[in-house]
Amino acid sequence: MADPFDSALDLLRRLNPKHITKNLNALIGLVPDLTEDLLSSVDQPLQISKCKKSGREYLLCDYNRDGDSYRSPWSNEFDPPLSDGTVPSEKVRKMEVAANQAFDVYRELYYEGGVSSVYFWNLDDGFAGVVLLKKSSVATSKNTGTWDSIHVFEALDRARTAHYKLTSTVILNMENTSEAIGTMDLSGNMTRQIEADLPVEDDNSHIVNIGRLVEDMELKMRNLLQEVYFGKAKDVVNDLRSVSNLTEVNRERAAHSDVMSAMLRR
Amino acid sequence: MSADQTAASFIENAPPGELAEVIKDIGSLLDLSQLSISPAIEKYNKEQFVTTKLPGGSTLVIVSSYNDLGGGRFFDSESSSSFTYDHSTQKASDVQSYPIEGEHASIVKSLLRDVGNHVKEHFPSLPAYGVYPSDDGIAILIVGNKYSPSNYWNGRWRSTYIYSPSTSTLTGTIAVDVHYYEDGNVRLVTEKHVNENIRSSSASAIATAIGNVEKKYQEELNRAFGALSEGAFKSLRRQLPVTRQKMDWQKASAYKIGQDIGGGSRR
Repeated sequence: MADPFDSALDLLRRLNPKHITKNLNALIGLVPDLTEDLLSSVDQPLQISKCKKSGREYLLCDYNRDGDSYRSPWSNEFDPPLSDGTVPSEKVRKMEVAANQAFDVYRELYYEGGVSSVYFWNLDDGFAGVVLLKKSSVATSKNTGTWDSIHVFEALDRARTAHYKLTSTVILNMENTSEAIGTMDLSGNMTRQIEADLPVEDDNSHIVNIGRLVEDMELKMRNLLQEVYFGKAKDVVNDLRSVSNLTEVNRERAAHSDVMSAMLRR
Repeated sequence: MSADQTAASFIENAPPGELAEVIKDIGSLLDLSQLSISPAIEKYNKEQFVTTKLPGGSTLVIVSSYNDLGGGRFFDSESSSSFTYDHSTQKASDVQSYPIEGEHASIVKSLLRDVGNHVKEHFPSLPAYGVYPSDDGIAILIVGNKYSPSNYWNGRWRSTYIYSPSTSTLTGTIAVDVHYYEDGNVRLVTEKHVNENIRSSSASAIATAIGNVEKKYQEELNRAFGALSEGAFKSLRRQLPVTRQKMDWQKASAYKIGQDIGGGSRR
């Protein structure tokens, strides 16, 4: 029999991704033993909270959660407050602060709005982190959408280099509602991984390396999403039903192949 | 939610052509023999217009609530027969004669011919259709499926129409469901309500109206992909910054490490 965890993931890969949070909670209710594994490996749309100290918005995920509290990247404090919440070491927190600054610039350049948050944590032989970005389109338009980026990485120390492993998920949910269309919901998520060895001079190098890796990955994934959402999905619709009469389509195809074979015979 | 309800909600959510995989996954998490999932499977099959071949037949026939005779039996107007359908094995058996009689018999026959021609011309993959007399009028169902699990995608088109002879109207829905799941999970779910007045009560006028409604909808849907791509998608994330240059990370990271970013100077 298949491993229950693999089956749970397979199920979540098949059920409507629009309802990922509902389905995930239903699965956890069904198989409580899988709670921790599922929460740490299934990406859900990010929730937004407001930092009490700085007044700035930040994103919530499993990586800045400790019990029922979430750590703000701006204040490094937990809400609700925790006296013994897990925070990164001073050195890693300094890098985390710089990364939040840099990705705030990145967010403005590419998203022109939205919210970003970066969380780092210590590893025995380096550090790890997650870069989060979220943007929702204006709700007044009949075309609406939400983009959530979740980039989880490890940076393992080597001599003068670091080994980076990046796993990126983008959750993209879109809706089009109108008289002519009725309802059209195009929702989902895609995940990609990459590994790279990059030179490291100082802590700044990590921010530059991670920044470039995430930037390249998002460019690649944006193109991929464009292809799947607006190319592949549309192609399948037109494979299911043909706008033109199939008799004509087949006649044209036959004529075309006659021309081709005539040319080949020459 | 009880385990039965949860399993039923998963089954109801199953993408086109993936019901068996969804049930297999549920079976690896729970003991299927302790669950009562047959009602959910039956509901799914009928809602999704599952198709089957009659023993000895070569065309696909639909299983739905519109041709449900009760007791696990369904009828097919085209072959004037009824059959038993097993929802778990997805097989039809015990075919018996079931002639369509009554006031709608002749329009049902004409519709089978004209809707059949329409389906032949526009549904290239695993098409099936049915015309069934009912209390509200005449139900006309069309379904087309395309399964490509080796390329990680599957799709289904379902048209449901009720033609009312008394008001000469055609009402119903067109629904499209597409699943793409290579290194991800992307789903297109659409639903469009149809409400058309038919000028003449002839079968060919009804089939023509269906053809027009579907063509218009498909063209709108094709345009909507473009509108989402050019509209919502572009407004979410730019392909490149306004400067057309990638970000200068050296410069951005030149903010001194260790500088306090709290304090809410922005926003």
